[in-house]
Amino acid sequence: MLKDLIRKFTGQKNTKDTAKKRLQFSLIYDKLEVNDTTLTDLQEDIVAVISKYFEIDKDALELKVKRDDDTSALVFNTPILHVKRKPA
Amino acid sequence: MEGKIIVITSGKGGVGKTTATSSIGAALALEGKRVAIVDMDIGLRNLDVVMGLENRIVFNIVDVVNERCKISQAAIRDRRIENLFLIPASQSDNKDVLTTAGVERTCKQLRKEFDYIIMDSPAGIEKGFENSIVGANEAIVVCTPDVSAVRDADRVIGLLYSRSLTPKLVVNRIEPQRVERGEMLSHEDVMEVLSIDLMGLVPMDEQVLISSNTGKPLVLQNDSKAGQAFKRIARRLNGEADLPIEVPAHKTSVWSKISQTFKLK
Ligand SMILES: Nc1ncnc2c1ncn2[C@@H]1O[C@H](COP(=O)(O)OP(=O)(O)O)[C@@H](O)[C@H]1O
Ligand SMILES: [Mg+2]
Repeated sequence: MLKDLIRKFTGQKNTKDTAKKRLQFSLIYDKLEVNDTTLTDLQEDIVAVISKYFEIDKDALELKVKRDDDTSALVFNTPILHVKRKPA
Repeated sequence: MEGKIIVITSGKGGVGKTTATSSIGAALALEGKRVAIVDMDIGLRNLDVVMGLENRIVFNIVDVVNERCKISQAAIRDRRIENLFLIPASQSDNKDVLTTAGVERTCKQLRKEFDYIIMDSPAGIEKGFENSIVGANEAIVVCTPDVSAVRDADRVIGLLYSRSLTPKLVVNRIEPQRVERGEMLSHEDVMEVLSIDLMGLVPMDEQVLISSNTGKPLVLQNDSKAGQAFKRIARRLNGEADLPIEVPAHKTSVWSKISQTFKLK
């Protein structure tokens, strides 16, 4: 109890919270590594959708999972060559 | 009616598979079921010593699968608990002594002769693991509240899903005091990380080592908290699916007493 209070005031985290966060991250990466078509499948789907609106450089694009301190992010980076004209 | 094969697995070694297998098997027999405990940890035979039956081995599971003997010849009857049988592993270290087809055929026969067949799987995710899950109807994943056990459990859960098995989780070696202090993952944390349903919670208990020292069934030790927890798991498996799951608590902890009294948790 006292330890809880000290932790609250000093902004220290329980070590089990750290363990949980680290686990949650590593499990995401583990799954992507094990089932490694997930990212390539996703990339194909995203390209298909974006290509309806933009002409993109398919060779220069990249899809990555990025990890910051507290979040896991999916980053899709692509140069846009043209905006497609929508048929009237 | 055909019996049910339940595999106890974990990925990581030393988390309590063998303890869980022997205790759940014994508890199911105490419930009046005819139970075979099968040691699938080929080359690293353990269930026999844990159950105190090491002096009575004649044949083993490899003999059964390779049709060198009948199931009834390999199954050692436990003299303390009625209707409890152990089929031991072999000590041979040849990884290819068991074929998948042979194991599947044996599983079919076992289901005809027993109500429950509890399979103790080896650590790892190789051939031995595959052999232990190939005939399973249900799967229990055991893990302890630490990062490596949980991560390995996740891997194994994925493999079980890909074989159309939906495993349930047993968290073993819970230390309530440390959970309270925030230095051990709680069962809620583990369930959330693994997104899996719970089958039971087993506390850290000195009786586990003591009962394996002497080869006496943990579930016959009435003062064993772990033994009681395994008994409840067996009842849950055996039709009492709604039996509430008891969360291990520290006896002298004032806080847990207060919160229990006032139902704060
Ligand atoms: N709930 C528990 N409390 C205390 N010790 C335990 C508990 N469960 C298992 N153990 C101990 O942990 C060790 C490993 O258990 P075991 O069942 O052999 O694991 P596995 O079969 O997964 O390798 C053994 O020494 C056993 O006595
Ligand atoms: Mg074992």
